[in-house]
Amino acid sequence: MPELRKDPVIGRWVIIATERARRPDQYAKGAPEGPKEEACPFCEGSESQTPPEIDSIRPKNSAPNTPGWDLRVVPSIAPFLRIEGELDRRGKGLYDLMNGVGAHEIVIETNKHIESMSDLSQDQIAKVISCYIDRIIDLEKDRRFKYVMVFKNHGWSAGAGMFKHSKSQLIATPVNPKRVKEELVGARLHYDYHERCIFCDLIKQEIETKDRVILDIDGFIAITPFAARFPFEVWILPKKHSCDFVSLDMESRQNLAKILKMTLAKLKKGLNDPPYNYVIHTAPFRRHKSGYWKSIDYDYHWHIEIMPRLTRVAGFEWGTGFYICPLPPEEAAKFLREVQV
Amino acid sequence: MSDLRRDPIVGRWVIVDTDHPNSPQDYGHEQYIPKVSGICPFCYGNEGMTPPEIDSIRDLHTQPNTSGWQVRVVPNKFPALQIEGEIDRRGLGIYDMSNGIGAHEVLIETPYHNKDIPDLLNEEVEKFIGMCCRRIIDLEKDKRFKYIMLFRNYGAAAGASLEHPHTQLIALPMVPKNVMEELKGAHDYYEYRERCIFCDVIRQEAQEKERIILENKYFVSFFPFVSRFPFEIWIMPKKHNSHFCRMSAEEIPAFSAILKDTITKIKKVFVNLSYNYIIHTSPINGDGGSDGYHWHLEFMPKLTRVAGFEWGTGFYLVPTPPELAAQYLKDV
Repeated sequence: MPELRKDPVIGRWVIIATERARRPDQYAKGAPEGPKEEACPFCEGSESQTPPEIDSIRPKNSAPNTPGWDLRVVPSIAPFLRIEGELDRRGKGLYDLMNGVGAHEIVIETNKHIESMSDLSQDQIAKVISCYIDRIIDLEKDRRFKYVMVFKNHGWSAGAGMFKHSKSQLIATPVNPKRVKEELVGARLHYDYHERCIFCDLIKQEIETKDRVILDIDGFIAITPFAARFPFEVWILPKKHSCDFVSLDMESRQNLAKILKMTLAKLKKGLNDPPYNYVIHTAPFRRHKSGYWKSIDYDYHWHIEIMPRLTRVAGFEWGTGFYICPLPPEEAAKFLREVQV
Repeated sequence: MSDLRRDPIVGRWVIVDTDHPNSPQDYGHEQYIPKVSGICPFCYGNEGMTPPEIDSIRDLHTQPNTSGWQVRVVPNKFPALQIEGEIDRRGLGIYDMSNGIGAHEVLIETPYHNKDIPDLLNEEVEKFIGMCCRRIIDLEKDKRFKYIMLFRNYGAAAGASLEHPHTQLIALPMVPKNVMEELKGAHDYYEYRERCIFCDVIRQEAQEKERIILENKYFVSFFPFVSRFPFEIWIMPKKHNSHFCRMSAEEIPAFSAILKDTITKIKKVFVNLSYNYIIHTSPINGDGGSDGYHWHLEFMPKLTRVAGFEWGTGFYLVPTPPELAAQYLKDV
């Protein structure tokens, strides 16, 4: 019998189609032939091919936009949002609109032409995490912005670009994204009633039942969520409560780098380098800790959601927010636990 | 400067690129050309390969599960949900779940293996739309079901697993989240203004005209001001009606015609396009109010690779403004 499961945070129901579960090797592998590697603008020595860098990790006395760097942040070549200008919120009949003001940045995670984040060293991934944090802190100073989304597209069918060079993206938006808002509302409802963080409750239950735990190391846990939308969807959560990704200390950044590297390596090895996306879910900027944000420090819990692109999402899922996951998350977790990395 | 636009119904903000908008050629969409390969369970003569039919429109004196049909409805061979049993909702620590009770049916629109809706005669489309209504009216009687979803995936890129054109129907014991949000948005608007928001949308679109594709006596098709996907299209009845299956006898031919003509137009701009559409309609059996809800069809061409950004955040990037999309279709 298939199961209907409800996401406890935002209340989304999904169908776990237990009986037509497909084993990992039955998923279509790889994307259509991607574009050829040419002179990659993200490699060391090609600095002039990107817009001037916003930030970088490079030795002292090396000049910006020259070789010798370890990690670089540059503005997107094709930004959807523009950094200049005012929001100018306005109505148009019954519609609302504002100007597309925002920031769109690319984090080039390595100076070498490496495609997979899991092939970077743990130290390098920790630097990437630190860089995310620095950029978020910097963008928070711009009072037009409410949220910074940090995400990664790996592989062509997950939306990655032409060049197979490991990078992530940041988008600062003047509004809070809907999905984040829903999580915040769900988490607060749970907190109002139970006076506990729903994610902390979830972590406790997952550790007890063990079925969906992939990794549990150094203060972080990698699980397949109970109401997974996609086969092999994985969430990484800090076991210690914190609503804000930016609050990670140096040691935790290393630990997060470790679990992220291991999880991505398991996906790569076990599922033959699947395309995937990950998104960091963290609290919006809280410039006034009053009213709406009163309990956010207690009720929300930042985490990373990793979504492998193994199935083609059909109209059904798009239009309704009702997902059919052809593999029970317990089986996905078992499979990933057994992949040795 | 691009626009940030807010959907008036569910409150979702999307980015619309008015600065450097994509033209149809910029998408380089994956073309879908059905091949006639192997044995198709939905073709004439292979009726025995599907589970026994639930309903059909067929020639006089032909037996069920034999050739001679025009529209045929069968249970999905690999159903996402099962029809038998009682609903058993339960908790599991902090989690909620239910057994997967529901109906999952396949409506085979035509005996022709490679005819998409634009290739059918108007009467053929009408028969198939009539059957969609008939199936919903029948399933409504089952009090376990709260919502009936009717959707069509056309082409491999849109998630169709079989080539032979078909529509799917899923009856659910609960109302899906996106529908719930739409209902709530529409209901809130109705409470405040005592008007249907969708009727207001139609009124505004009719005034501004710039996003309209086609219009007949009973229906209008247009690019919504706030879409999630480039070239997303909505088809809406002009007369307020909460339920798709309560379409009047005059409306069925009008709907069939506008559906066919709209898809024909977009397929002229995007040759061999893969697409999805979904019927958004009110819940059944009294779950959730449908005050101010207005059924409609949402059509989504498969043009872009959806990235992590959209999935993870519900924040969509639309590279072609709907006003411009309307221009491209007008020239067809």
